[in-house]
Amino acid sequence: MLRSGHAACPGCVLALSLRHILNTLGPETMAVAAPSCAALICGAQPCSSMKIPVYQTTLESSAAAASGLRRALDTKGKQDTTVVVIAGDGGTYDIGFQALSSAVERNEDMIYFCFDNEGYMNTGGQKSSATPLYASTGSTPAGKLSKKKNLTEIMAAHEIPYAATASAAHLADLVRKVEKAKGIRGTRIITVLIPCLPGWGLPDDEAIATARLAVDTGVFPLYEVEEGQRYTLNQTTRTRPVKDYLMTQKRYRHLSAEDRDEIQLMVDRNWTRLAERSATS
Amino acid sequence: MNQAVRAIWTHESTEVIKTGSWRLALPAYVNLPAPCHKACPVEGNIAVWIQSVENQEYRDAWLTLIENNPFPAVTGRICHRPCEDSCNRGQLDEPIAIRCLERFVGDLAIDNGWAFPETAASKTETIAIVGGGPAGLAAAFHLRRMGYAVTLFDDQQQLGGVLRYGIPPYRLPKDILDAEIQRILDLGIDVRTNTRISSQTDFENLRAEFAAVFMATGAAVPKRLPQLDYSQPWVIESATYLEQTNSGDHAQCGERIVVIGGGSAAMDVARTARRQGKEVAVICLETETAMPAQRDEVLEAMDEGVTLIDGVMLRSVTDRALKGLELACVKVEFEAGAERGEFSVNSIAGTEFTIDADTIVAAIGQDPDITTLQDSLDVEAGLVRVDEQQQTSIAGVFAGGDLVTMQRFVTVAFGFGKRAATEIDRYLRSSTSASDSTPEQAVSTDMINTHYHPQAARAKQQMVPVAERQVSFDEVELALPGDEALAESQRCFSCGNCTFCDNCFDYCPDMAIKRENGGYRVNDDYCKGCGLCVRECPTGAIVMRQER
Amino acid sequence: MKDTSSTRMLLTGNHAVAWGARLSRPNFMACYPITPQTPILEKLMDFQMKGELDAEILTPESEHSAMAACVSASMAGVRVFTATSCQGLLLMHEKLHYAAGLRAPIVMFNVNRTVAAPWGFWPDQTDSVSQRDTGWIQLYSESGQESLDTVIQAFKIAERVSTPVLISHDAFYISHALEPVEVPAQATVDQYLPPYEPELFLDTERGESVGNVVSPEMFCQHRKDMGQAMQLAIAATQESDAEWERLVGRGYGVIETYRCDDAELVIVTMGSMCGTVRHAVDEMRASGRPVGLLKVRLFRPLPSAALRDALAGVPDVLVLDRNFSPGTGGVLHQELKSTLFGMPEAPRVHGYLAGVGGVNMSPGKIEELADRVCQAEPSIQSVWAG
Repeated sequence: MLRSGHAACPGCVLALSLRHILNTLGPETMAVAAPSCAALICGAQPCSSMKIPVYQTTLESSAAAASGLRRALDTKGKQDTTVVVIAGDGGTYDIGFQALSSAVERNEDMIYFCFDNEGYMNTGGQKSSATPLYASTGSTPAGKLSKKKNLTEIMAAHEIPYAATASAAHLADLVRKVEKAKGIRGTRIITVLIPCLPGWGLPDDEAIATARLAVDTGVFPLYEVEEGQRYTLNQTTRTRPVKDYLMTQKRYRHLSAEDRDEIQLMVDRNWTRLAERSATS
Repeated sequence: MNQAVRAIWTHESTEVIKTGSWRLALPAYVNLPAPCHKACPVEGNIAVWIQSVENQEYRDAWLTLIENNPFPAVTGRICHRPCEDSCNRGQLDEPIAIRCLERFVGDLAIDNGWAFPETAASKTETIAIVGGGPAGLAAAFHLRRMGYAVTLFDDQQQLGGVLRYGIPPYRLPKDILDAEIQRILDLGIDVRTNTRISSQTDFENLRAEFAAVFMATGAAVPKRLPQLDYSQPWVIESATYLEQTNSGDHAQCGERIVVIGGGSAAMDVARTARRQGKEVAVICLETETAMPAQRDEVLEAMDEGVTLIDGVMLRSVTDRALKGLELACVKVEFEAGAERGEFSVNSIAGTEFTIDADTIVAAIGQDPDITTLQDSLDVEAGLVRVDEQQQTSIAGVFAGGDLVTMQRFVTVAFGFGKRAATEIDRYLRSSTSASDSTPEQAVSTDMINTHYHPQAARAKQQMVPVAERQVSFDEVELALPGDEALAESQRCFSCGNCTFCDNCFDYCPDMAIKRENGGYRVNDDYCKGCGLCVRECPTGAIVMRQER
Repeated sequence: MKDTSSTRMLLTGNHAVAWGARLSRPNFMACYPITPQTPILEKLMDFQMKGELDAEILTPESEHSAMAACVSASMAGVRVFTATSCQGLLLMHEKLHYAAGLRAPIVMFNVNRTVAAPWGFWPDQTDSVSQRDTGWIQLYSESGQESLDTVIQAFKIAERVSTPVLISHDAFYISHALEPVEVPAQATVDQYLPPYEPELFLDTERGESVGNVVSPEMFCQHRKDMGQAMQLAIAATQESDAEWERLVGRGYGVIETYRCDDAELVIVTMGSMCGTVRHAVDEMRASGRPVGLLKVRLFRPLPSAALRDALAGVPDVLVLDRNFSPGTGGVLHQELKSTLFGMPEAPRVHGYLAGVGGVNMSPGKIEELADRVCQAEPSIQSVWAG
């Protein structure tokens, strides 16, 4: 469903994720795209890389625009058309958050895909509220001093029917989650971690390895929350220290051993909390 | 109006944009050799047949095996397995138990009576092979499959050479050997046993009668220690000892046996003697870990009660009549030379000691019998000299195996047989040698994405308990059960061999990998050269190649 | 001719808007409540609840999201209506450009209200006038009846030129004032306004996308196309109005001239102020003063030719702006001056900021201003009338 000739950087796993998501969703799908790398991948006029119709909206309005599209299709009797949002973390965690929260509160029938590359990478790499602690960006050259917003938990607090995290390195898991989401009605959100090659300072062939490390170290746990209640941790073991993940990325190059230890502790805390929820729900 | 509105809608595809122009390097499916393949004396396509095992296509596995070696049940038992030493998996946890898997497939073939595929159309030429040991039998097989008529000469009653008369049945059961030899004979080989090419006339007749001759008479002449009086009844050559015991006869010897030597033959003698209830010590020049015998042979021998006295040289023997022999020994510093078989030793003063014994079996190696041949062929350092095509100084006369090398391994001999067949065919067809291409670099561990190979313990070789081993000539090593063989095959990295896992296809962000004709093709119109396909390849089957 | 099938109802201006919307059969609406627009929203919800209006109504968390949803719904090929006021309209500003750029024929009703800060709830047209560069067609209404009629007409205009339409009427004076309103029969409106069937819309069968990035040349061409559509909108408005008039007997034109024959002074204004001026003109005409009214109904695109025709030979023009653009003054004043510029014997244009912030402008005050300007040279700047 994604065509060759798109404008993603060589080795971009956002394009890769899109490819597998679209193939899973199939042709009876429409997308709303917020300005983002994803939107640029869609193509420049008059060419589209997407075999499905894509409506490009403004940065803050994805969830609202998708709501309008959903309702308009409903009036035409097209309840079986899946409406999806493809947005970045800036358009989701930050400027689009209000519209997203409202759409989730209304339980609009859509799947929201947040391609989380932990910053405004399309504009050259500035921090967003998805940027993790101490990561260096164009607007936090010495490292971000605040932690990453936990979107999935916030969505769970809305009692959203389905919220999940996913990774481009775990394609089978991603596809399964998309299929699962497609079978649910109401608002569903899947946050896909997208290691950004220029933004994170990675070689062209390293995005998958990095996404895998994010999961293996517990920095980005793969999990699902249904109705805000039922937690499922998809990969239940951490096999590597967080240091292994941090050391390969230029955005963390300035970190001291103490900084890395602090991040490890933070990851440990989040992991423990998640594991407890997964075990008790 | 409509035109103006139309202008904000897309109506074309990005496929018109050829992003391949962004690229500096293009992935290529290269099928580089696996290190096991490079290390294998028969170049046995190991990764390929293990993959067939993994797919539970056992007959396919066997067909791949016999392309290079008609004796997988033999090598599956006694190969010195250089493949396992080179296995990339060894860098992650432990090497693949390749020999166990080979035996698994080889035994399946025997159990199921699988026959070799049809031979090629018959050719007019007949080839003489002198020597029915591993090199000769292998050459016979390969030549026969090419369509040549083959006449095989051997001076023994039965074919097999060292396989039959040298290696004891607890390592290589005779029924296994017979089955694999019979399969070759079933291809239609003219066998002349009990026939010795013992004179120059015999040799000249061969040359005249046959289109080509392959000499593979092995190394049957024992080396002798000057310290020993070989006329004494208490000194026995290892070859004699093994030939007698392997034929079911009992060698005449006392209760306390000292075996001299550190190679496989020494181990075979020692372990055979233990099975006959003897008290056995092995003395050798090398330290334990430097012994030329395979490591597990040494360990198994010691398990079976053989006493190893390593780093020691025999100086003299005193026959004390009824009190038996007294062996005067001294500890030595052993230093291996550049070539196999070359070494130097220095006695360590003040370390002299004695050993009591009744019989001494010398197992210090054997030389080829070149007394007849040296009048016709060039020889060098006791070996027949051959060129890169295994041809001797006489056109049309080829030689291989122990006759031409100090690499005294059965699998090396099989490799000589295979190569000789190829070269004889080239000689007769007057085609040029293919050895002009530069040898390809083997796949290295860093080309393998080990994420796709989770840690897994190597299959454990199960053995008959020591107590049973000491009283029986039955096979010591047990076969790998089917489920364990399957699990072991799944551990294989398949270095350099595409397993059609689809990773390259699945991980391409640009849809530039196409499935085609059962494999893959890179669409260079769109490939941006990121290298993700190479990075995520579990087998190292793809590499990036710079483009201008 | 008279529309005999209509029903006369006593309606507030906002309820008249709701009726206009209901009769236009929109498929989709997205509304966020704000004083003084809320009666429109609530009435539409009431209609929907009773099954009298078959439309999806979205009530999101902001006007911005409301307009965002309107644009995407419109691109899906359905008829879209919404309503707002002051802050809400300003919050939508970005999406107004977006809707116009995507040529989405949305109809939006705005109730003119003061823009904060400071807070006020009074009639003032600065909210909508300040959206003049967004690419929306803008119409101003003087009464509840006109608002109802204009909503129906607006869909016809918008869908004909693929451009969104913004209609405004003043807070409270119109929005909450009760007046008898002729509500046309549904059949009449259906005859006038066929279902919306665009050539291009988001559709999985077709697969086309909309809104992708363009080159500078494409962008420039796109803006030229928008400009051309705007010029076509003048005729489209005239023709849609005339067609409506033929059906129901009520037409408004793009501008209206009232008692302008031989006028030595024409007062130009928009919205509810027109009613007050109409009264003052009648008073002045009765006392022998040759004064007329020019009501600007279509503010975007500005009907320049019609304005120049109407004001040719008039010695003095008095513009009453119930809006304020700090630094230039009254927006209509500035626009009219530029429109009339270069006319042979162009009228002297006197600009007054009249009723800004909802300050009451009585007919007497207007007569006073009329007298004052006839004796004075016009000021370049707009003058505060109180």
